[in-house]
Amino acid sequence: MSDTVPSRWFTLIQRELQEYRVSLVWTPLVVAAALALLMLAGVLVANQFSNLGQVMLEAVMQEDAGEGINLNIRVVVDENGQQITEVVTETVAGDGAPVGPPREDYRVAPAPELADESLWDFSSDWRFSPVPPAAPVGVDNTEAPVDSLNPLLHGVHAFMLIVLVFVSFNYLLGCLYSDRKDRSILFWRSMPVSARDEVLAKLTVAVVVAPAIFIAASILAQLATVVLAMLLVLRMDMDPVAVVLGNIQFGRVLLDQLGGWLLTALWVMPVYAWVLLASAAARRSPFMLAVAPVLGLGLLEAILFGSKHFGTALMSHMPYYNSGRGAVGFYLFGPDWARLDYLGLLLGLLVAGGLLAATVWLRRNRWEI
Amino acid sequence: MTATVIAARGLQRRFGEQVAVAGVDLHLQPGSVLGLIGPNGAGKTTLLRSLLGLTRCEGELSVLGMDPRREQAKLMEQVCFIADTAVLPRWMTVAQLLDYVAGTHPRFDRAHAERLLGATEVRRQRRIAELSKGMMVQLHLALVMAIDARLLILDEPTLGLDILFRKQFFEQLLNDYFDEERTIVISTHQVEEVENILTHAMFMNRGRAILCDSMLALEEEYVELRAVGPAVARAEGIPHLGQRPLLGGKALIYQGIERESLAPLGELRTPSLADLFVAKVGEDNSHV
Repeated sequence: MSDTVPSRWFTLIQRELQEYRVSLVWTPLVVAAALALLMLAGVLVANQFSNLGQVMLEAVMQEDAGEGINLNIRVVVDENGQQITEVVTETVAGDGAPVGPPREDYRVAPAPELADESLWDFSSDWRFSPVPPAAPVGVDNTEAPVDSLNPLLHGVHAFMLIVLVFVSFNYLLGCLYSDRKDRSILFWRSMPVSARDEVLAKLTVAVVVAPAIFIAASILAQLATVVLAMLLVLRMDMDPVAVVLGNIQFGRVLLDQLGGWLLTALWVMPVYAWVLLASAAARRSPFMLAVAPVLGLGLLEAILFGSKHFGTALMSHMPYYNSGRGAVGFYLFGPDWARLDYLGLLLGLLVAGGLLAATVWLRRNRWEI
Repeated sequence: MTATVIAARGLQRRFGEQVAVAGVDLHLQPGSVLGLIGPNGAGKTTLLRSLLGLTRCEGELSVLGMDPRREQAKLMEQVCFIADTAVLPRWMTVAQLLDYVAGTHPRFDRAHAERLLGATEVRRQRRIAELSKGMMVQLHLALVMAIDARLLILDEPTLGLDILFRKQFFEQLLNDYFDEERTIVISTHQVEEVENILTHAMFMNRGRAILCDSMLALEEEYVELRAVGPAVARAEGIPHLGQRPLLGGKALIYQGIERESLAPLGELRTPSLADLFVAKVGEDNSHV
């Protein structure tokens, strides 16, 4: 008779993780492992072309803020099936214009006996530039040379979060529909768990539990990335602690990622609540019910008033990458609390509250398909 | 002191134009076993769902002193139901299901459920989807019997099961579960199989309760006459509820009649619930 409130909620959430074990537990672990394996493959390849790694690091570690090296790696499979990798570096000024003529530094051709391995055409260009592609939100750009490895970790994290968004939508669409469809709702309703608690447990899973699992897996993948990067540096006879650890601010990365999700969770709440409502209301397809009315309303507004306030308000609550230009939106990385649109956030939460109340009502009174 | 378990007055449930339950009154004391009997579409399931707070309804309704429409979740601590066969979540394993019930139901005795399951073929690591229909019902019954509830509602609990399972189901329910503190409501088509365990019976037809009484009162009120030969014509002359042919004669069911007046015409007995039901529904339908 362990009827304490925490164990009750634990049971409700455990139930969700059991039902959606593949998407909520295995997916993040597998994706994180796959990312780590990719990194490992990268290290092995880099080891083969250790010279290449050297150049990459030189490029990455360019201390000069105004001038950098653009590194072009060109893998060409020539007509004899021989793979030739060229590394071309050019020194660029701050504005990206080439300063001197490109020079060919390295040319790696496979040993003749390996020629058969390269039957596929892998010709491609990779371009590494020392300037971080997009400065993370909230990170002061003057620190760029020091943070130069943070974007690498953020990249791993971003990938995990994109998977999370897909998994969450899938979960929310199904969680109040599938048990009505297979009639097992008749069993769930025979337990002393109110419709409100059911809906709240499912929302908690989507907003807190699933992200926690994905972020934890992401952190593991990031740690693996760091370890592998250190391994790579070690093989090049450099000091891994100084080169890799010195260039990552773990605290900052962690804080940005956790804070980013916290703010994101608040922002996407109305969208998540809407999807839950569609899941609770749908008779055939929760997806159609979630998407069609929204498209219809947006279209109607455009036709009647020629405006797109609805669409704008909606888009600002959709998960998308906020590059730091706007003050609203979805944050993959660090939040910018100071520039936040608090009114938009509050309105969104109010809408979410109304939608959730409607969801509970439907769950209670209109559960039959 | 015996508090009323179910008190309903003028219970109604409409689906648009269609009236599923049209003003049903029901009062049930602890220690009763009520059989809810009716043709398909008579409103049995809707009535039971109203009692459970699973559907909205109009009228006065109190179950164990609570209004199911407002306190559904709280009511479920005291009320168990099996709403249909095979509604257990198919993706769960038996052990996960036990975990869930143990974690959410304050009156669930897990050890007791495990003991009951120990006597069956249901293994804890099996996924529910892999169980046969009979095993699923055994599992559900084990869960329900391990919950110390005051009211158990069964809506066609044995539909689609073979006769061995059905017999075992009701025997177990009666021997190991039922006592004078508990109340059971069963709706079923297999009238013959529940007849001997009922204390009360309710017939439903087209949303209304056409009969609702204790089995003792039914024995008093209704009598079946088995007449053969020339007695048949005389028996048919007396107003009766219904009749059915027998080998070489007829069986007629009378309501509220002096038994002595019928005795000379043939053998008197208490009508079976099924025969009484057919007679009552036939009478009700002929009134339209």
